[in-house]
Amino acid sequence: MSVTDETLAGLLRAANAGDGRAYARFLTAVTPALRSVVRARGRGLGAEAQEDVVQEVLLAIHLKRHTWQSDSPVKPWLYAVARYKVVDAFRRLGSGRVHLPIEDFAEALEGAPAPEPLAAHDAARLLGQIDARSAEIVRAVHLEGEETAQVGARLAMTEGAVRVALHRAMKRLAALGRGNEG
Amino acid sequence: MKTEDLITRLAAEAPATAPISGGRVVMAGLLAGLPALALLLGLLGVRPDFMAAMAVPVTTLKMVLPAAIALLAGGAALRLMRPEGRVGLAGPALAGLALVALALVVWRLVALSAPQIPVALMGRTAPQCLFLLLGLATGPFLAVFWGLRAGASTRPALTGGLAGLAAGGAAATLYALHCPEDDPLFFVFWYGGAILLSGLAGMVAGARGLRW
Repeated sequence: MSVTDETLAGLLRAANAGDGRAYARFLTAVTPALRSVVRARGRGLGAEAQEDVVQEVLLAIHLKRHTWQSDSPVKPWLYAVARYKVVDAFRRLGSGRVHLPIEDFAEALEGAPAPEPLAAHDAARLLGQIDARSAEIVRAVHLEGEETAQVGARLAMTEGAVRVALHRAMKRLAALGRGNEG
Repeated sequence: MKTEDLITRLAAEAPATAPISGGRVVMAGLLAGLPALALLLGLLGVRPDFMAAMAVPVTTLKMVLPAAIALLAGGAALRLMRPEGRVGLAGPALAGLALVALALVVWRLVALSAPQIPVALMGRTAPQCLFLLLGLATGPFLAVFWGLRAGASTRPALTGGLAGLAAGGAAATLYALHCPEDDPLFFVFWYGGAILLSGLAGMVAGARGLRW
């Protein structure tokens, strides 16, 4: 259930051609991954400062979006931009030396929500059709960008159980989403 | 501001963008080098014995080495315009060129007698060489540097340094059209020195000017 590179590439290509809607979808699709990396790496910062860093990265993506080559994959480009800005921001905020392996972004983005079944407008409606606990997990992880470990602690579940529940819930949502279209 | 609002605002003011182009940066550098090159060739001219000098294999290195530095360093700087860009094999290749230059120096130091060494090193045009070479490199460097600013290098100092090496290498290649000094001791020291100075200046400029 990750955002494929082709999906992101299609959106960013359209965005760089002037399609604002595709651009909004692109930025929305990458934000949860950015947020989870910033949260994991910047634990010492408050939630507001973390969100400021997320926004700085988004702004950098915006200002440098013309440096993506439309025939090459988006993710390596995205990780590089995000890593540069996150390291930069943390250094400036004085949270010490930052060790930030590029894999963090890869993992975070692989685990990011697929925009198809959870397009914002029908997310709430779809979530209403599955059980409350699963809906809560999906909402926390995919819409609010919470860590699975954090969600587990809150719901008194192990992290593994959260991941399994999340995976099943996403499958059900995808099935529901398809059912609605067809 | 909420992140959703930021995204909405960014999307609302996102006109179509033209992708960065390495070719344009190269063109800008070449055009910026033309005036100085015209002055060099117009006032000082190509050395009269150019063809005869280039018949000696070692002497061709005077042009081949700096030209190779320019191509390798310039190519790497252009790749680094993209955030995910890598120096790649240009790094080891540049190190290899440095070793070749070093080997030339060692060879000359061994082959020449002690009193000959300072004579070969200083030649007849040493200060002029350094000055003209850096003068030739300045225009192209500034143009290329300006072009690189449109990119998004995640290693600003390195990118600036490579641009400096490339400008210095190109300048040395062209200066060799005029330069009458053929001892490797002379051209490795003075050309190499000028290229390194140019690279160092580029590094300092890049560390400040290529951040984003």
